[in-house]
Amino acid sequence: MLRLFLSLIFAASLFGTVSVKAETELWGDYNGVTLRVKLIGGGQYENLYNEVIPWWEENTGGKIEIVTQKNHFELDKEIKKDIASGNLDFCVASNHTSFAAQYGSIYTDLNGIMPASVLADYTPLILEHSTVDGRLVQMPRHSDVSSLYYQKSLYEDADNKANFKAKYGYDLTPPDTWDQVKDQSIFFSNPPDFYGTQYVGKEEAIAGRFYELVVANGGALFDEDYRPIFNSDAGIESLEWFIDLYNAKAVPEGVLNYLWDDTGLGFASGTIAMNLDWAGWAGFFNDPENSKVAGDIGLIRAPMGSGGLRTGWSGSHTFSMTESCPNKDAAASFMWALTSNKAQMIEARGGLSPTRPAIWDAIIAEKEAEGDEFMLMVFETFKQSLSLDAFTPPLIPEWIEFTNVLYPELQAAILGDKTPEQALETASKKATEIMEDAGYF
Amino acid sequence: MKKFLNGPWVLLLPTVIVLACVVFLPLLISLWTSFTPFKLTRPDTLYKFVGFRNYERLFGNYDFWVAFGRTVLFLTIALNLELVFGLGIALLINKITYAQKTLRTLMMFPMMFSPILVGFQWKYIFNDNIGLLNNFLREFGISPKPWLVDTFLANMSIMAAEIWSSTSVFAILLLAGLMGIPKDPIEAAKVDGCNSWQVFKNITLPFLMPFIFIAMTIRSLDVARAYDIVQMMTGGGPAKRTELLWTLISRTGYVDAKMGLANAMSYISIFLSIAFTFFFFYKLMEARKILSYD
Amino acid sequence: MTKKQINNILIWISAILLIVLIMTPGLWVVITAFRPQVDIMAKPAVWIPRNLSFNQFETMLFGGSEGSMGRSKVPVLSYLRNSLIISLVSTFIAVLIGTLGGYAFARHNFKGKNTYFFLVMLTRAIPGISLSLPIFILFSKIGIIDTHLGIIIVFVALNVPFTIWLTDGFFRQIPRAMSEVAMTDGCTRLQAFWHIELPLSKSGIASAGIFAFLISWNEFAIVSNLARSTDSKTLTVGLMDFTSQFTINWPGMCALAVFIIIPALILTFMVQKHLVSGLTFGGVKG
Repeated sequence: MLRLFLSLIFAASLFGTVSVKAETELWGDYNGVTLRVKLIGGGQYENLYNEVIPWWEENTGGKIEIVTQKNHFELDKEIKKDIASGNLDFCVASNHTSFAAQYGSIYTDLNGIMPASVLADYTPLILEHSTVDGRLVQMPRHSDVSSLYYQKSLYEDADNKANFKAKYGYDLTPPDTWDQVKDQSIFFSNPPDFYGTQYVGKEEAIAGRFYELVVANGGALFDEDYRPIFNSDAGIESLEWFIDLYNAKAVPEGVLNYLWDDTGLGFASGTIAMNLDWAGWAGFFNDPENSKVAGDIGLIRAPMGSGGLRTGWSGSHTFSMTESCPNKDAAASFMWALTSNKAQMIEARGGLSPTRPAIWDAIIAEKEAEGDEFMLMVFETFKQSLSLDAFTPPLIPEWIEFTNVLYPELQAAILGDKTPEQALETASKKATEIMEDAGYF
Repeated sequence: MKKFLNGPWVLLLPTVIVLACVVFLPLLISLWTSFTPFKLTRPDTLYKFVGFRNYERLFGNYDFWVAFGRTVLFLTIALNLELVFGLGIALLINKITYAQKTLRTLMMFPMMFSPILVGFQWKYIFNDNIGLLNNFLREFGISPKPWLVDTFLANMSIMAAEIWSSTSVFAILLLAGLMGIPKDPIEAAKVDGCNSWQVFKNITLPFLMPFIFIAMTIRSLDVARAYDIVQMMTGGGPAKRTELLWTLISRTGYVDAKMGLANAMSYISIFLSIAFTFFFFYKLMEARKILSYD
Repeated sequence: MTKKQINNILIWISAILLIVLIMTPGLWVVITAFRPQVDIMAKPAVWIPRNLSFNQFETMLFGGSEGSMGRSKVPVLSYLRNSLIISLVSTFIAVLIGTLGGYAFARHNFKGKNTYFFLVMLTRAIPGISLSLPIFILFSKIGIIDTHLGIIIVFVALNVPFTIWLTDGFFRQIPRAMSEVAMTDGCTRLQAFWHIELPLSKSGIASAGIFAFLISWNEFAIVSNLARSTDSKTLTVGLMDFTSQFTINWPGMCALAVFIIIPALILTFMVQKHLVSGLTFGGVKG
């Protein structure tokens, strides 16, 4: 009854002067179809809905009914409750690569529903990250990875250069390794007025930061059977990096209570030299209304660990379709629209990182044309980080639960309540229990 | 029928209906889940009976009992401080006649703040690097403190936020009690040469006692609302230094999705609430006997 | 100066100090809503607010420039409507039901009264988490998730024990003789209650009402459990619209907080009058 249109359209004039490469469109005639959807709410995410929903409704005749629009973590709770109460009466929901595995099989495999020609428009690596147990359960909307923001003037200052060289024996340039970050942080710090760097200190946030450093240092959290192996040289080395900075007072003493809002506001206050943070903050940092370091920001790819890899903990915001959705074609069409060229351009203009190569080219070209050098640097850096450095956390349902046993131990080691060995030993034991209970071995 | 209409149950019927639907029925369901390995994301686990396994696990769970103990301590200290401050405020405002209405409204100002907002607000006030408090101390040359990290300071900081947001409740309840005190006995006592302290101790305080215990009970029941505050400020950390039952239960239930275990925890914690409530309730009955209202 | 005057001055000074202490952390939030972010957490601090503006309010109500920091419109008016409906209706019902219950406990002697009273109180002692999921499941079966009705029902249950507590205390202070006279004159218990005791306990009911209202108005956990869309999301839950996975718009959140605080403050001020009449009522017992 419902027809599926596949058409190639060249949209050279779609975005003013900037041309975007062609995409495969996925329209259909969905007159009389109403899709119930659950979306992540909040100002940053809602622009997309305000533009794409009317656009899709107009082109397909379908209707979108927003059942839920709420914060990321609240939405996670809600979906879990929906599963528990068997109440999956919606079609499309916001999802996240780090969360997707938890939801089991409620979301449908999009391979076969999404035409291959549509999938070809997305970055292959990101689609791979969106796959759980061989099932493509989500369409990526935008991706997140961290890069290192720093105060440019600190590195241009002649005194700093000379003093640093004298003390550490190499030139003061934006750091390429995490050891250099440590040196420079200690060098720049003048507690309690100024700190070299900072890190998020609790919950999944610090667990993720620890994880990426372990990988960068040549280690891993789990072996192939999901046995914890982070109580290793690489694990100790990574944990000691956190401890050393803390003990040297090169990070604020409160970091163990910091989440992303604290680190972002901290860097904007001009009291932090270097800050590993997400793309979402870029516009904020460079806005004089919001930030003291506006106009003085440099950005580079995340530094390397001792294993020669860069820290690239990454995730993507996505959309998933329920297995119980009665109208999968319409849902697929809507999910395409939400992640189409038009949609991704809207989000990219807001500073978020697109999941389609074509949009990377388009947004970079647009910023070049506008002469916005800062945002150009932001997009170019994050493009590299995402294509060269990004990796996801283990895509298993136990990830979040695992981070909850890991982070208190990391904190205990950083505070000196435990030695790194003791802390990782305990965390490893608890993690083994979780994995055992889950039936991995 | 006349007997029923004149009796207490016709009056209590709506209460019973509402509480049965919203409290007792759900409570039975969650009691059942505490005997299962219920995981939110695996609904079929709801029908797997495991007896007392969740409870057995908890009895040997060190982290749980530490959080339990800390919650008792937190409740005891916070409630008593709130009472003392609240009583002070009520007595002070009771003395003022001019613009009292405005003062009372201003006094209730913190009650307009949702616990979730209080959490954010105090997290930023206590931020060690750019927070309001450390900025203030710095002006006087006092070195900044890691308010939310140090074990003692972190617990005190949370308590400060909780006290700020809830003392008004005590104050307004006690003020209402103070205003209901009959004037004659006080006048008579003053004529008889009692000083202010004696009047307070022998007349005002006994009269206030029921109100104090009402306030205490209400607050001890209600104090779990502090969950939002603690969750925002420290989330129980760092290194579990501020872990209270509420943060632990909520993380276990919703983040780890282990609802069966979380409900076993909350059943144990219900006993804590019953103990606190029973204590104040018993005290209230005694205070009433002294005043012999009944 | 007489001793009394000195006393008065001392009382006023301490009252002012006290109010300053109580108000400062809250006023900081209110002022933050008008300040540019760069000043809010500056180090060294900017103590005297400058460059105040209504930007946050403008953005919140009408939408603002493109940007990633939550600079888009927030459906404040829907939230405000939901908050008002839910809080006012649930307060009214809770006070109505609770007053009847409080009267029953204060005026009737029946078997096991104290135990029942204790049981009613205990309903409040149950941690929200052990109720939230079952309530969610029950409500989703009846289909009242994301409706005003569902949230109102829970709020009523939340506030009834509390109201019973307060009104019970107030009714106990009214001499029984007053209603007994009315009853010998042929009134039923309910009529005696309505004509004699209810007017006398106005102040107790008013304070119960303020409490119930403020608790409903500021409640977060329950609404975030039961509300999903703009059909029932309240202002408090709307605060979270200013957070995203990695960022927060703190001044924006404060601007919405102002929307939460001001109506509550106005309402509280208006009801204060009835607390004053508590003075007269207290005299009755005399």
